Parts: sequence; structure tokens; C-alpha cells
Amino acid sequence: MTQRFESPEQVRQALGQQTYIAGDEIATITYLAQELGKPILAEGPAGVGKTELAKAVAGALGRELIRLQCYEGLDETKALYEWEYAKQLLYTQLLRDKVQASLRRTKTLGEAADRLSREEDVFFSMRFLLQRPLLRAILSPEPVVLLVDEIDRADAEFEAFLLEVLSDYQVSVPEVGTLRAVHVPLVVLTSNNTRDLSEALKRRCLYLFIDYPTLEQELRVVRLKVPGLAEDLARQAVELVQRLRQGELRKAPSISETLDWARSLVALNARALDAPTLERTLTVLLKHEADLRRAQTLLALPRRVPAPGGAAGDA
Amino acid sequence: MEERILRFISALRASGVRVSLAESADGLRAVRAAGVGDRNRFRVSLRAALVKERRGLAIFDQLFPVFFDHAAVPSLPDVAGDLSPQEAELLADALGQFSESLRRTIERLLRGESLSDEELERLGRAVGLQQVDDLRYREWIIERMRRALRLREVQEALAGLEEALLRLGMQGVKVRRIRSQIDASQRALEGQLSSYAGQRLAGNMAARPRSNDVQALMARPFDRLSQADMERLRHEVRRLAAALRSTVALRQKHARSGHLDAKATLRANLRYASVPMELRHRDRHLKPKLVVVCDVSASMRQISELMLSLLHALQDQVRKTHAFAFIDRLEYISPDLARGEAHQAVTRVLARMPAGYYNTDLGSSLADFDRRHLALLDSRTTFIVVGDGRNNFNEPRLDLFDKFVRRSRRALWLTPEPRPLWGTGDSDMHRYAERCGAVFVVTNLGELAAAVDRLLAGV
Repeated sequence: MTQRFESPEQVRQALGQQTYIAGDEIATITYLAQELGKPILAEGPAGVGKTELAKAVAGALGRELIRLQCYEGLDETKALYEWEYAKQLLYTQLLRDKVQASLRRTKTLGEAADRLSREEDVFFSMRFLLQRPLLRAILSPEPVVLLVDEIDRADAEFEAFLLEVLSDYQVSVPEVGTLRAVHVPLVVLTSNNTRDLSEALKRRCLYLFIDYPTLEQELRVVRLKVPGLAEDLARQAVELVQRLRQGELRKAPSISETLDWARSLVALNARALDAPTLERTLTVLLKHEADLRRAQTLLALPRRVPAPGGAAGDA
Repeated sequence: MEERILRFISALRASGVRVSLAESADGLRAVRAAGVGDRNRFRVSLRAALVKERRGLAIFDQLFPVFFDHAAVPSLPDVAGDLSPQEAELLADALGQFSESLRRTIERLLRGESLSDEELERLGRAVGLQQVDDLRYREWIIERMRRALRLREVQEALAGLEEALLRLGMQGVKVRRIRSQIDASQRALEGQLSSYAGQRLAGNMAARPRSNDVQALMARPFDRLSQADMERLRHEVRRLAAALRSTVALRQKHARSGHLDAKATLRANLRYASVPMELRHRDRHLKPKLVVVCDVSASMRQISELMLSLLHALQDQVRKTHAFAFIDRLEYISPDLARGEAHQAVTRVLARMPAGYYNTDLGSSLADFDRRHLALLDSRTTFIVVGDGRNNFNEPRLDLFDKFVRRSRRALWLTPEPRPLWGTGDSDMHRYAERCGAVFVVTNLGELAAAVDRLLAGV
């Protein structure tokens, strides 16, 4: 386990050991992200291994992976920190006797206030700060990998806020002051490109577009992750998936779906990709009724059920 | 090297990729960190630092070889020097059959001499390289430069030269060596031409005065947009969307129309001993669902396309957009939009539509919608039609339109035609208009943006 990558070549090997097959591009950009201290913005269709990249990098570096899953309405209290007033109040009440005891010997009001102010660190300290992923990544004593997943699903305001954190890796908390990063974390942002991200955020990142893999790449992934599948069957399966992606589908099958399919072929002990096998397993690959029907015509499978009328809408 | 990278960056900018100063600094840092030894690694690191969207990647890959593929002119052995005086004489004799200029070119190839900067400059001027500022003309320029150097004739002449040398009694091995030497030199020379032409073109592009008449362009009517204008407006749409998004977000923040968030309010008021001094509202607003039906016939194509790309860029402000395109029948195009840009999506839809004479028919398209997609309309849906309401005297199917209006939250119409023209000729606009919640007359991108802003605000 290394804590740093020495060269792009080594990145590729280290990721390979985590069963992540990285091309030259991914390896180089990961290396640069570490060298320049810049976040990686990984964009591409769903299920091509963007999230997986962050996990593999964390594994390869032997660092902890801290994950922030974005969604609509995500705000600072969920992403950064929250001040635990309840806990603070509870402490204040429970410690009341102790405080009074220590103030008993003071003579004047002023003296008591001075005495109390010496102790106020207790009430405004990190122990009442509930750390959320971003703050944990910043304050971690060990270097970490921070994964901000599906940033395109968060609101534009959150993006602006994230930008602030990512540009100087420091956070001001009114109750305790400014907290600075101990180590600059390696940050991976992923986006499914459902909307355009702000220019400012993109400017700060290294851009990595991960597309669907080529036949050979995908085959290698399948062979690596599902070793139980016979070689020629794996090749046939991957070829079929690649062909499906060419077709006009509502949702093209991703690598992870290819893997699921490969696993189900193993589980069903399939010998060949004949019509009955396909019919039974195609639903693992395609999740839309319309896509299934299209695939059946594309692969010239016999139609099991007549297409239900009026179901074309995406209701 | 740095200078070359900077020139490359300005060429990228000229081709429409946005590269900020900070990003170009990052590019140089990235190159320094990754090294320039491995060419692919160099390309990848520069690209990751400079280009931040998929669209730009293609432009980058197209320009990169122009700047960094200088087919390094290999220093070729001077064959002429290798030859014995006797052989040299033979060669001179054999060359004698060619015209003066052809002979000079062949001699230069034999010496393996590359073109000097001045020569390239002169050559460029001769073929009018200064006036061209579009990379698409690169091949054409290179061809003209090759012709100016008479390289094609050299190829034809070589057969004759070989023959002459053999006839004069030179060894076959020697002749073949001379031949391969000339071929190699010629390839190197062509590489030099190609990279020179590309760089000069990119330089010209960068030097081209950046017209900052975007405002004027936004006010130009759709039907008077040239192909190039459209290209620029497509870029502009993204900026516009960003601006729109922040106004929408601001408005929502100020509006405070969200529901009271009891949990957040309790948490926020613990510091006041749970006396609710600060109220917290749920940030989430009721985001609209949109169903957009766009006319993509020739007259409406541009406005529909810009509308679709605006909506796509604003996906985070709406819950879901279902987009349809029609001419005489309806096509569901959301999957196409998800895959690429509106421009390509519209082109793809047009390719799917039957070729030939298009007969705009909103009525039958509405019937298509009624048959196949009616379930999409519910009380949260805004139903939007982008079209001019010119129906070629087909049945307007107002009954269906009424039904859709009733089912949806509200119905809007975007048309490029001014009100006085409604109802003239084959226009059914006035009849549709009275049924819509609002009709926006949009004749240019500025008005379109304003309409989309109102559309998002009024939900």
C-alpha cells in the first residue's frame, strides 16, 4: 500500500491490483490530480465506473474513502457540519454544579466572569461539531480520498458552496473559527451529465470523460470480475452488449449491467446465448419495456407477449 | 514548447472552446508534472486541464496534431554526397531531362533538405494562406502548396528518372536507394507543409477579430440567422442557461414559498430553548414537469432547437422534461436529447422522418400524442407548444387541444409570428391562442430566453 503514486505507470498497476482496469488517460489524470492537488471531474454515462474509480484509487493508496452522495436539496448541514445545540445544552446543564463550584471562590462578579471565560473553550469546542463528509475529509489526520458522487443532482447553490470549500480546503465555523485542511484530500467528483455544471466548478477540476469501453476493454473487465464465465461465452455476451449500445435504446446497458448479466449467465449455468437464455436474462440488461421490445426485434427473438397497447409513455 | 502550447490554447479559444487563464496555467503545470516524453500522456494531461466538456474534446483532438505532430523532419543522409563522382555525373545527366524548377525540387529532396521558415512563408503567401481562417480548408491549402512545389510531378518524374539512371548504367541497388531517399524526403516535406498550414490557419483563427456582437445576434430574428450565427448561438445558449438558472434560484430563495420544515425548525431553535424564533422552510420547490411539443419544419427548426437546448441546460430547474418533435407526425425525442446536443437530436429526428415534401400537420401530431402519450399530462405538467400554428389547412383538432389544456396545469405557446399575422392564410394560431394560458411571441434568442424565464417563474 503506497500513500502516493510515483508515476502514471504505477497508478495503472496499482489500480489494476484493485481490479480496476485503467487506460492511459485515467492513469495520467489520476496522477496529475495528486500532483497538482486538483479535483477530478469524471463525467460520462451512468455505470461506466466513475464511482468505482474513486474506490479503486482509495484502495490503491490505502486511504479511507469518504463519500458524499449528492441529491436535490442537499445543503451545508448535511454535507459539511451541524452544530449540536442539544448536546451543548445538555452539557451545560449537567456541568452546572461543577461550574458553580469553580466559581465559588471568586469574590467579585468581574472575577467570576474572567474565571468563566477561561473555561468557555469547553462549550465552544469541536466536541459539539457534528462532522459531515466534507468536514471529515478536511479534518482527517490521515490523507483521504473524497468522492462527491453525482454532483449534477445537487442544486446550483450547493455547487457554489462546494466550490468555495474545494478552492482553499478551509471552512469557517462561526462557533469555533476557521478550520484548515491537514492534508489536501484527493477529490473525485462524478457527474452523469444530466445538466451542465457551472463554469467556475469545471475550471477548478481536471476533466475526465469516461465513455463506454471498447469491446476488448469491456471483455477484459468481464473476464477479470466474472472469472467463472467461459471465455467464448464472455466474448459473445460482450459483443451483444456492444451491439445493443449501437441501437437506439432509451437506456443503453452500462458496464455494471454487463457484469450483472455475466454473473446471471454463470448462475444459470448457461452454455450458449440461445433464444431461451436471452429471453430469461435480458431483463438484467435492459430496464425499459420499450427497450426490451426493441432488443427483441434487434436480436430477432420470438415475441413472448404482444406489446401492450398504449404503454409507450414513460409514465 | 510553452510558446507552442500557448498558441495552441489561443487556437482552441478561436474554435470556440472556453479556456480561462487559470486553466491555461493549469495546462502548463500539468504538462510539467506529467512530462512531454510520452506523447499520448502529454495530450491527455493537457486535455484534462484545458477542456471541461465533451463537446470540446473533439475540437481538441482535431487541433492537437496540428500543433504537436510536427513530423520531425528526419535528417536524411545526403545521398548525393555518397555517390562516386561518376555516379553523380550520371545523376546530373538523368536530371537534365526535367525542367528547371522540377530539377531543383528533386535535388532538394535528394539532399534531404527541409523548407526554411522564409520558404514556407513565401509558399504560404503564394497560395493565399493569409486570407483563410478556417481549419476545414487545411487539406485544400496543403494541396495547393504541394502543387506549388510540384510534388505530384516529382512522383511522375521519378519513374522516368529511375529508367534513365538504369539506362545510363547505374547499379540497380543504388537507383533504388535514391528512389527511397526521395520518397522519404517527400513525406517529411509534406509533414512539414501540413503542420505549417495547420498552425498558420489556427493562428489566423486566433487573430480573427472576435466579434462581440453577441447582443446583436441575440436580437436578430431567427429567420435571418446564417449557419455561422446558429453555431455561435448554440454556444451562447449555455451561458444564457447559466444566467437564467441563477435568476431562478435567487427568485426561489427570496420567494420562501416552501413548506414549513418542522424538523429543521426545531433543530435551528434549540439554541433559543426551542422557542421557534427562526422558521425554516423546505427548500424544495414544486418543480414543474414539462411536456414540450416542437415543430421542426424548416421555418421553425432554429427556434425549436434553441428552445430544446435551453431546456436541456436547465434540467435541474424542472422535474422532468418530455420532448416531442413533429412535422406531420410526432416523435419522442427525449432519449436523443439525453444522448447529445439538441442540434444533433433534431438532425437525427429529421433523418427518421419520411423524406420528401413535409406537410406540417399539428392536428394529426396531437392525435398521435393523444393515442400514445396522454398519460404524461397531469395536474403538475406544463404543456408547451413551440410552433407557428400554420397547419397547411389540415384539421387543427381543437377538441384534442382543449382536452390537453384541461388535463395539464397550464398550456403555453411559443410562436415566432406577430399577432397581426395570426389567422391569416393557413394559420390556426388565433384559435389555439385563445385556449392557451399564455402565448409568447419570440422572434429572437433574447425573447426566447425571456419566455423561458417567465415559464419557469410562473409555475
